[in-house]
Amino acid sequence: MSSIQVRDLTAELPGGFRLGPLSLDVAVGARVAVLGPSGCGKTTLLRCLAGLETPRGGTIRIGDRAVFDGRERVRPSERKIGFVFQDAALWPHMTAVEHLRFVDPASSRDAAIEMLRRVGLEAHADRRPATLSGGEAQRLALVRALAGAPEVLLLDEPLSSLDVPLRDELALLIHRLCEERSMTLMVVTHDRQEALTMGDELVVMRAGRIVEAGLPARVLREPATAFGAKFVGGASALPVERGSNGSVSTPFGVFEAPSRHEGGLELVVLPGDIVVADDGGATGRVVRVVPAVDRAIATVEIDGRTVQVACAESTLPGDRLTLGLCGAPRLLPAEEIE
Amino acid sequence: MHQLPRTVAIAFYALFVALPLGVLLWETVDGPEGFGFSAWSSILADPVDRAQLGYSLALAVSSTAVAVLLGFGFAWLTFRTDLPCAGLLGPLGIAPLAVPPILVAMGFADLVDAAGFVPCALLLGISYSPFVAVLTARGLRSVDGRTYESAWLARGRFAAERMLARLVAAEVAAGALLAFIFTISEHGVPEFLTVKGKNWHTYAEGVFANWQRRATGVTHEDIAAPIVAAVPLVAVIVVALFVALRLRAHSNLRGDPRPLPLRRLGRWRFVAFAWPLLYLAAGLGVPVVVMGLWAAGSTDLTEPMSLEVVRQSFRAAFEEAGDNMAFTVAVAVTTAFGLVAVSAPLARIAARRTQLVDYLCVVPLAVPAILLAIGFVRCFNSVSAVRVYDVTGDFYDSPALVVVAYVARFLPFGVLTLSNVVRRVPTEVEEAAELCGRGPVARALRIHGPLMLPAMWSVGCLAFVLALRELDVAVVLPAGNPAVVRKLSNIVHFGGEDMGGALALLLLASAILVPVVSVLITGKKLRSLS
Repeated sequence: MSSIQVRDLTAELPGGFRLGPLSLDVAVGARVAVLGPSGCGKTTLLRCLAGLETPRGGTIRIGDRAVFDGRERVRPSERKIGFVFQDAALWPHMTAVEHLRFVDPASSRDAAIEMLRRVGLEAHADRRPATLSGGEAQRLALVRALAGAPEVLLLDEPLSSLDVPLRDELALLIHRLCEERSMTLMVVTHDRQEALTMGDELVVMRAGRIVEAGLPARVLREPATAFGAKFVGGASALPVERGSNGSVSTPFGVFEAPSRHEGGLELVVLPGDIVVADDGGATGRVVRVVPAVDRAIATVEIDGRTVQVACAESTLPGDRLTLGLCGAPRLLPAEEIE
Repeated sequence: MHQLPRTVAIAFYALFVALPLGVLLWETVDGPEGFGFSAWSSILADPVDRAQLGYSLALAVSSTAVAVLLGFGFAWLTFRTDLPCAGLLGPLGIAPLAVPPILVAMGFADLVDAAGFVPCALLLGISYSPFVAVLTARGLRSVDGRTYESAWLARGRFAAERMLARLVAAEVAAGALLAFIFTISEHGVPEFLTVKGKNWHTYAEGVFANWQRRATGVTHEDIAAPIVAAVPLVAVIVVALFVALRLRAHSNLRGDPRPLPLRRLGRWRFVAFAWPLLYLAAGLGVPVVVMGLWAAGSTDLTEPMSLEVVRQSFRAAFEEAGDNMAFTVAVAVTTAFGLVAVSAPLARIAARRTQLVDYLCVVPLAVPAILLAIGFVRCFNSVSAVRVYDVTGDFYDSPALVVVAYVARFLPFGVLTLSNVVRRVPTEVEEAAELCGRGPVARALRIHGPLMLPAMWSVGCLAFVLALRELDVAVVLPAGNPAVVRKLSNIVHFGGEDMGGALALLLLASAILVPVVSVLITGKKLRSLS
């Protein structure tokens, strides 16, 4: 079992993309999901950890060993890491059994088939990747990553190409295997559902930096940034105006500005933060209505931005709704466009 | 240890590409009066050089036009339309490549007067049209039919065809440029047609004429001038190759496409059938039939043609040229393996590290074969080289020199083909192998090698066929003189068409049968790997 410790990591890729500086601690046996939009540096982070990219600076420790410290770089194959690539990256000319026996030449065919059985692929032992479905290919990639008995398992968008039932099935399988082997798990994804399914801890990245980190429930309920709230919680953000006396004016009324932040603010509205109310403070026009199990979800336009609110099934696009805020307003630092 | 293939490949390039060409270049500035640029200052001053270069360029442009017309038409009809037997005809597009251009010329010259400029351009166009046909077909196969259909739905048939033309333009251009490069440096066919009465000469003929006269008192300038005069030629070819490589790099022919919808030819279906037949007849049928007639005794005016003459011709071919045949096939097979061994490491460097290697490796194609071979003579028949042979044994007069010269000449085909294949293999596939802890040798043998095996096989087959038909290098290098194609070209001067016809048919049979049989044996297995 190994922990991961990253300090002041920076990397630069061809094309000018810069990662970091960022620091991160992953405890032994933890399951961390790194969430962020495409191009934010998630995969680069993972590749730096695996040794497939050479960072410009910083340190990376896996377990009690510094695998990169600016001077020395431990080879990828010596880091005791299992890596599942986004598109599986299977070897097209090898059968499933040959995949496992290439990774562990000492293993017998029976042992390889036993490993395949763990992921339900024993019937496909002699099949090549081209004949496997997306889910089967991803399971083979997973068991190949495990065949080298890694202490850390890194997964790059492992579920992105799968449909929903297969996603749940594979997520459960990964959790089970990690628990059995007490492995530290880090998964990167741009899909918040995948992140919440896979990780016990959540790290949110944006433009090469970490903007949020913590337990998923905390990040969902108490986001530290408007970006985190929107990306993880599916929140909407409404513009606010700062008053001269330390107050801010929002579509829902005037509130006291948080004293800790001097820059621009946004009113972040999580699903459930607003309700349709006759005496609400904001009025908006319904632009879309999506039916749900026992109600409908309306997308309402307020001041040029949209929020979502539960509404009556009879609501129609074009209707005007009055909305009220439940609880205290979330006034968070506005996104800075870089 | 795992660096060995790469080191060998780089050493090969340095010794057998950079050194001969470097020595030639050095000779243009190193005259009897010491270092100077007298040869360069008189570049193209000689009206004969200028005329020859002009003929070469005009001939190359004309024959390329013929090659495009024939090759593109063949590929378009067999891959894009509902032509009868298209499935059978399509793969045959590569077959004329097995026929040495000299045999095409000999075949046609037997039937018609081929001494003029137009017949010469036609002959070379026919000989090199397979490059256009094969690459155009590859382009058409690689276009996703849905791309075409979406343009068709959005803007109509004409717009869809225009988009298709843009998508395959890179492949067609690459084929045309290959045809151009080979024609402009072709020496064998123009020289053969001189024997038949041609009274104008190409640049490659001029270089060879100067080279042949070197023993009879030519000056330094006589030797240096054609080398310097090659500079504009090489410049044209390098630019053409650069453009071809850029076009190929920008072409978006990737993935696993859906086939293009076929165009219905309607009542023209059977009329259009004549075009592929013309292509195959010109490139393959005429030479084979004429050689067959020669073998049957058509040139002997005293005896009628008969099967007995055929039998005698083949017996004579085996008795008189059996060793030549064995030499030629052995050299071609060794060239095939050698080319793959040298190209694979260079292709990996080109694909994974720097594309500069792609450009460096096309240099042997940019130089006329005759000049490359002269570079070999200057390097490996020098006084200092002979001293080395005292220790190592004679290299200059051994078939090994012919093999390395062929490998050097065909290096662009190996490196460009394999580097394209390496580029198509996702880096993650190789990284997954690196992460699992297996050593570089295991990875090379179990991952990189098998992924490239089908392409290596194709490169080997192509090298085998090209080595069988290579005349220019075989003419200049004394060690290459036993080559069958050289013996065939001598028939023009010394007679013996009946035996020559049989020998040509044996050569063609080797060129076609060896790759075809090997593909039949291993093809399915290789396809399953790719």
